[in-house]
Amino acid sequence: MGREVAESCVDTMLMEMVAMYSGRFYANKPELAARRIEAIGYQVGHQLSERYTMERPRFSDHLEAIKFICKDFWSEVFKKQIDNLKTNHRGTFVLQDNKFRWLSRVSIDPSSENETEDPSTPGESKAAQAVSMYLYFPCGIIRGVLSNLGIPCAVSADISSLPTCSFVIRVKA
Amino acid sequence: MIVCVAVVGHQNNPLYIQSFTDADDALKLHHIVHCSLDVIEERVNNPKKSGTTLNEAFLGLLYPTVNYKVYGYLTNTKVKFILVTTDLDVRDTDVRSFFRKFHAAYVDAVSNPFHVPGKKITSRTFAQTVSNIVGSYGLN
Repeated sequence: MGREVAESCVDTMLMEMVAMYSGRFYANKPELAARRIEAIGYQVGHQLSERYTMERPRFSDHLEAIKFICKDFWSEVFKKQIDNLKTNHRGTFVLQDNKFRWLSRVSIDPSSENETEDPSTPGESKAAQAVSMYLYFPCGIIRGVLSNLGIPCAVSADISSLPTCSFVIRVKA
Repeated sequence: MIVCVAVVGHQNNPLYIQSFTDADDALKLHHIVHCSLDVIEERVNNPKKSGTTLNEAFLGLLYPTVNYKVYGYLTNTKVKFILVTTDLDVRDTDVRSFFRKFHAAYVDAVSNPFHVPGKKITSRTFAQTVSNIVGSYGLN
């Protein structure tokens, strides 16, 4: 049967990948680093979708494919399902995970927040930006799965309060 | 006896095609595979006319010719598997289990990080696995 990887290895790999791309390869171009990380996720999602859709009938519409991601795919990859799915029925889907596994051990250093006096600190937005780098990989995975299922789309992530995280999928018409 | 198997990508691009006959009829078999793509498309677009149950991957017998029977299988990722056999009394369950094994072999092949999606499958391991699967059905 399928071989498993220790969770800490995956966490370390994700951290290292982000550090490599945003700190070394493209240190001055965070945009480019994000795109590269997203592309890696795309390939991973593309290949995973092939395996996880093996024993099931074909999806008849977009919603069914999204539901597959929320339930079966998320359980396979993150051992839990998506907590909340919203849609406007016009091609936009919001998937909310209340405890996203890859962010569950990320915390923002409180000391850095206290140092700056201004309440709308640049420190906080900097932290949010740092966390968002870790979300390009899962975004790429979702996009890879959906495009392999024949649904071209754009995926973005949104962090309101850690470790809650929502993914916004916009299907291209 | 299974004489030909093929994997066809979602844009009808051939990913893998292999015939298992001694005679020099590869071209004819490729032609049969090519023709079956139209039948698959027809099946998928008019699901009510065909006897298969709702959106099942296995598409059943695509069309019989005088010498061959052609079976099809369509995955969720729009990849088509085609099987050409000379046995005229084949059980559906056998074909189903053949496709399941074939699909598993395909998934293993495309999960290889060195495989480029949408390109032909050049893996020797895949070729070996496929010929093993085909061989195991030839004996029945």
